[in-house]
Amino acid sequence: MTRIVVIEDNPQNARMAEKLLKHAGYEVTLAEDGESGLTTVLEIMPDLVLMDLGLPDVDGQTVVAMMRQQPNLDQMPIIAFTAWPEDTAAEMARAYGCDGVINKPIDTRQFASQVEAFLHIPTQS
Amino acid sequence: MTIEPPIIQSSPDILAQPSYMAVPCSKYTFSELADIYNQSRVDYIVPMPMNAKRMEAYVRSYDIDLDVSIVVFDHEGLMAGVGMLGVREDRAWITRVGVLPDRRGHNLGRFLMATLIDNARGRNCRLVQLEVIKGNAPAHRLFLKLGFRETRELLVIRRPPGKAAAPPLENMTMTILTPDEVETCAKQGSGWSWIEEPDSLLKVGGLRGLRVELGDGTSGWAIYQHSALQIAHLALHTPAPAHDTLTLALLYHLHSLNPMLDTKVENTPALDLRWPVFQQMGYVEAFRRIEMFLYL
Repeated sequence: MTRIVVIEDNPQNARMAEKLLKHAGYEVTLAEDGESGLTTVLEIMPDLVLMDLGLPDVDGQTVVAMMRQQPNLDQMPIIAFTAWPEDTAAEMARAYGCDGVINKPIDTRQFASQVEAFLHIPTQS
Repeated sequence: MTIEPPIIQSSPDILAQPSYMAVPCSKYTFSELADIYNQSRVDYIVPMPMNAKRMEAYVRSYDIDLDVSIVVFDHEGLMAGVGMLGVREDRAWITRVGVLPDRRGHNLGRFLMATLIDNARGRNCRLVQLEVIKGNAPAHRLFLKLGFRETRELLVIRRPPGKAAAPPLENMTMTILTPDEVETCAKQGSGWSWIEEPDSLLKVGGLRGLRVELGDGTSGWAIYQHSALQIAHLALHTPAPAHDTLTLALLYHLHSLNPMLDTKVENTPALDLRWPVFQQMGYVEAFRRIEMFLYL
């Protein structure tokens, strides 16, 4: 089963993402901050990471940068999951080596297919 | 989280809202304050959530006076928002302002701001300053209505980890500053925003610094906060006429010394002539703030 880690501090967003992705057949693990998110990713080695850029302990960009410095994570799809304005989010995602952006609030009809699309593209790194 | 009922009522003259109440932030733990703040910013244009540790460091580093910072409650006694006030001599800084999404539209933001301004007067402040994220039109409009005036735009810029390309500069030398030298440099800051003022830099901890001398004898310095994950609070001193060259040299050495660290620089003036050099060294704009002043 395809495994996805969602690093998101907002419980409502996290639960919604979890519900939609599980419904689509994915195995989902949630993490609520950057430190636990990095630990979870290293333990699970998921097929994709959804990364909120605004986290309470460490900035999401910093967590992405840390992941990209891990040899075993440098090719893992990481998708910025953010409410930032689209151009800002795209610029940050590109600069920090994310493979794309999914904007919040979640479009419940499109979300699972948006995520699925990133599972089938070559990573940027 | 358990929130105690309001115990202090505040009705500033500028806006009499006797049914709204304000409680000093000093009545709450840092964890509770972080929680209230996060709830108020959940749909913010650039959410910047905090945990208790970050909130505590924020309060300590930026001279937040929790006795005059407030949590506000609406007419039903429901927690509605938060706002904080930093105080340095006769200046005050309003920050961490937010109203919970489902409590907006009832002048609570105005009440919150008016109370903070009133509290600044009570601390004998002559100036209140703040920053609002560019694009947050409702907050910007409110601040203008309250009499704040724009002073400048500030950039929040980021640079992902990575080495910097060597600049085409010959005979430059770099030396690491001693802790005493770093402190001396930090005290020289002027024209910096509240969070980069000397009083802030000297409290954030983990400051390091370096000096670069060019072949012609001109020199400049950089000081920055160094943590396990990030470079922050970067301040550069680059005397004319070698602004750009010294900036290039300082950033090159900074990132050569710390190639694995992410960098976040807050509140660089948008009109800073060195911004193109930062871009050349891999920095990108995250968002902009508008700095605003209100003279009391």
